[in-house]
Amino acid sequence: MPSQKPIVQLHHLSKSYTETDSKRVILDDVSVHFYEGEFAVLLGPSGSGKSTMLNLMSGIDAPDSGRVSVNDTDITTLNEHARTIFRRNHIGIIFQSFNLIPTLTVLENVTLPYELQGNSRKQAQAKATEVLGKVGLAGREKSYPDRLSGGQQQRVAIARAIVHQPDLIVADEPTGNLDHHTGETILQLLLDMTRNAGKTLIMATHSMDIVPLADRVFRIEDGKLIEDTERLRVGAEIKAKLEKKMHAELVQSMAQLETIGGSL
Amino acid sequence: MSPTLFRIMLQYIRRRSIQSVLLIIGVMIGVAMMVAIDIANNSASKAFELSTESITGKTTHEITGGPNGLDEGLYTQIRTEVGWQNSAPIVTDYVVALELDKQPMRLFGIDPFAEPPFRNYINTENAIDSGTDEPDMLALGRFFIQPNTILIGEDLAKQYDIRPNDTLTLQYGDKTHTVTVIGLLRTSDSLARQALQGMVIADISTAQELLGMPGKLSRIDLIIDPDTSEGRTVITDIKAILPPGASLMTARARADAVGQLTDAFELNLTALSLLALVVGMFLVYNTVMFSVVQRRPVIGILRSIGVTRRQIFALVISEALLLSSIGALLGLGLGIILGRATVEVVTQSINDVFFTVTVQSLHVSAFTLIKGFVVGVGAALFAAFLPAYEATNTPPISASRRSDLEQRTLKIIPYITVAGIVMALAGTGLLRFQALLINFAGIFSIIIGLALLTALVVLWSVPLLPPVTGKLGGLVGRMAPRSILRNFSRTSVAIAALMLAVSVIVGVTIMVGSFRITVEDWLNQTLRADVFISPPNGTASQTDTPISRDLITRVEEVEGISRVVYTRQTEVAEVGDDRPVALSAIMSDMAEGRRHFVHQVDLSQAEIYDRVVNGNALLMTEPFANSRGIQWRDDLTITLLTEQGPVEFAVLGIYQDYTTSQGHVTIGLETYRRLWNDENITAIGAYVEPGADIDAVLVRLQNALSGSQLLIQSNRELRQSAMEVFDRTFAITGALNLLATVVAFIGILSALMALQLERRREIGIMRSNGLTQKQMLRLTLWETGIMGTVAGIMAMPVGLALAMALIKVINLRSFGWSMEIFIRWEFFAQAFAVAILAALLAGLYPAWRIGRIQPVEAIRSE
Repeated sequence: MPSQKPIVQLHHLSKSYTETDSKRVILDDVSVHFYEGEFAVLLGPSGSGKSTMLNLMSGIDAPDSGRVSVNDTDITTLNEHARTIFRRNHIGIIFQSFNLIPTLTVLENVTLPYELQGNSRKQAQAKATEVLGKVGLAGREKSYPDRLSGGQQQRVAIARAIVHQPDLIVADEPTGNLDHHTGETILQLLLDMTRNAGKTLIMATHSMDIVPLADRVFRIEDGKLIEDTERLRVGAEIKAKLEKKMHAELVQSMAQLETIGGSL
Repeated sequence: MSPTLFRIMLQYIRRRSIQSVLLIIGVMIGVAMMVAIDIANNSASKAFELSTESITGKTTHEITGGPNGLDEGLYTQIRTEVGWQNSAPIVTDYVVALELDKQPMRLFGIDPFAEPPFRNYINTENAIDSGTDEPDMLALGRFFIQPNTILIGEDLAKQYDIRPNDTLTLQYGDKTHTVTVIGLLRTSDSLARQALQGMVIADISTAQELLGMPGKLSRIDLIIDPDTSEGRTVITDIKAILPPGASLMTARARADAVGQLTDAFELNLTALSLLALVVGMFLVYNTVMFSVVQRRPVIGILRSIGVTRRQIFALVISEALLLSSIGALLGLGLGIILGRATVEVVTQSINDVFFTVTVQSLHVSAFTLIKGFVVGVGAALFAAFLPAYEATNTPPISASRRSDLEQRTLKIIPYITVAGIVMALAGTGLLRFQALLINFAGIFSIIIGLALLTALVVLWSVPLLPPVTGKLGGLVGRMAPRSILRNFSRTSVAIAALMLAVSVIVGVTIMVGSFRITVEDWLNQTLRADVFISPPNGTASQTDTPISRDLITRVEEVEGISRVVYTRQTEVAEVGDDRPVALSAIMSDMAEGRRHFVHQVDLSQAEIYDRVVNGNALLMTEPFANSRGIQWRDDLTITLLTEQGPVEFAVLGIYQDYTTSQGHVTIGLETYRRLWNDENITAIGAYVEPGADIDAVLVRLQNALSGSQLLIQSNRELRQSAMEVFDRTFAITGALNLLATVVAFIGILSALMALQLERRREIGIMRSNGLTQKQMLRLTLWETGIMGTVAGIMAMPVGLALAMALIKVINLRSFGWSMEIFIRWEFFAQAFAVAILAALLAGLYPAWRIGRIQPVEAIRSE
């Protein structure tokens, strides 16, 4: 269960992009806290600003105005170099398209973040091997990414995102490129890996399946971040019914979830 | 750098091996050229220095006379009246040794007993191999007493299989002499060993006889410490007894004055050698930029997991460092190999134009190698800087698209254009300085500045092409220009590199071509006699060798000869200047009023020549005036040291002349004889009677002068041989041009290969939409053809600008000669053909590979 210690704090965050001659507002005065050990889900259709928000939280992108604090560090005041170092030490990122480095082996892909923190190659390899074992890829250390299935590649990406023990893990559509079954397995793995370690996980997705597992659910509409308690409530019901194996009711609740607030 | 990051770099190099190899080759050629020229220059300079140093030995001062030399009595006076024993008499000049491949050798006449304090050729024990057991002193005694005996170095003897008591035939002017090798000199001193390779040592009296200088000395060597009061007294005492025409100067000053002659020549070669490196920089830029663009997704991932911008920069730069280091190392090896060939060409030119130098060994200094490596790698890193910086701007999100880069490139065009204009203007400003090095910097600045303008030209001109190319090439003809524009960031750099190389070809071709036309015209105008008779012209040092005066009568008596003129060419001294003055004494205006005067007093040419031939007046050649910084004015005078003491000559004009870059002065032969007491002549010109058969006259002349070994050339033959020397001097320019083109060719090949790799998906889509293999091939060739055409067209004005700078600034400052610019269509056509051919050839391989791409595979590969 999440603690009350905020890990990520967004204060009046705004971001817009200029396109030819018009300005498109992506995030408009967004303020929110995410807590230690929490699993938050960001819902919204493509282009609604989910990825932008994750990028701002991980220091990949800079806001037009407002502040982003991660673990009590205001990363918006850091320069580019300091932000990168901060990201290296405190944040893990998982992408929809896995984004593994094709010229490195599975083991090397996972060792890299740990090595970047200044650990020796030997230490990094030991740690990476351990994590790869946890994500079920023991024995595939020497393979190159293109030899793995999509699900396996995303497992490597998860291993890479958690190997250096970050406080915050952001995941941008981690199951978007996977089939339904594999996606479920990967989600479960991701949750196990983060929950067990007490890490905060913030995930952008447009899959409803994830909602029952989340602590909090948000959606972005016209640049505003809205906490979606209704979806969370139905999600909780589904979770309960799932646990009680009430299948008929489950189907009903799922249908209800799909219709809340129009289609996503 | 983390080991894993390092591995990412190595993996990339391995996977893109062709790109990596091309970069290595580009750097290698650039470094090799620089090192080869450096080795050639240094070897020639070192050989000159060694021979000077070895011949100078411990000499601190020398007394030299005019063309006649010094009277022997002066030496006796110094030893007895001044009482200075540290003095040695020398009689020396170049002779041709017929048995030694007719190569010029320095005949060095010495007094073996005065020598020891000065030089160590023959003062060590057991150093003379006389073929018998006799002690050195005995061999030396025979050498001293027996006339026509010589000593030569052991290495030289071994090379030509000469043993003690063998004979050699030495030729000097029109005379030949047989001399006996009395012994072979053994020395462990490497300097002396090298010097002995180009020397024949004789006793003073033998040398006097061989060189036709009875009772005369070429110079007297002295060891004096001018910092002591004794030394100062001796200098004053010696100066007091010096006859008019003789001068005392430090040995260093004289050697420096001669050594400096080739400075400009060597600097010109160095500048040319840097050219390939500059072209190579474009190649490095293109390759590194490509590797960055291609790895954008990976860089994005790395950035997102916490690799800093600095680390990305280091990654890209390390890659360039690694590859260019390999290229530079290979370049050093290739440079040493090329240096062997280059040194021969450079030495030949120095011998043709400046002075005699025999290069025994390649001088490969650590400095040359370190400099080659550092400059090569430095240039590559400089070129890689921008792409590396560009890489750091990659956002740490997923891949940014190619079109982003194209957009960014378009945005920086105004800055590049302004930078180009500023560089070109600044370069033009630098041409105004009176320093050759700065002028070269100016030229580099101009051509690089103009190369930067290529981007704008491509952007303006290529969009105009589709209607034309469409008409000629149909669909692919229309597509090609658009494809060039779409991939502007790389095509424009490839075009710029090719343009640069081709403009240099245009520039150098116009310069050499104009120079050639000028020299040809000048020879046609000024060589009026029908036949020329001179000592066999081995090297520039030998044009002063006197020939017998009785030849004049023998030539005059040949049937069909109507008139004979003759000249004396020699070196004299100018009061107040250490550099020797080349002097030509004439009977009349040999050019018959056809010389082109740059400046002259307000008189007709006939009147000017009349005063020169009959009075204390002279004419200067343009290189002479320029090399000494002499500014023309109507009352200009120059004071020469004659045997009658210093004499002031009025300068009546300065005329264009292309004989040598140090130039010469012309005075009347009678005046010369009167002032220098020298009756010798060095060349004869003969006029054939009108209507006489010139070939028949030549045969008769050859018969009349048989046995004299003289060179008898018709007007046409002389002009031909002069042009041969000209072409020989510029042969190396052609070779350097070719190498620069090769680098540009590799540049365009590399750019195309990169494009082909980048555009796999696009090509796959085009193929799946029905573009045939043949059409793909044609598309690629159309693209490269257009690139070559744009480069070729742009290279013409740039090349012309370069030619103007070379002719009006570099040539004038380097060699002192002015000339007109002659523009012939073939100069341009040749370079234009090179541009298109290079581009098309470079396109063949990528076109072939593109043609083989399977649509499915190409689309899947993304």
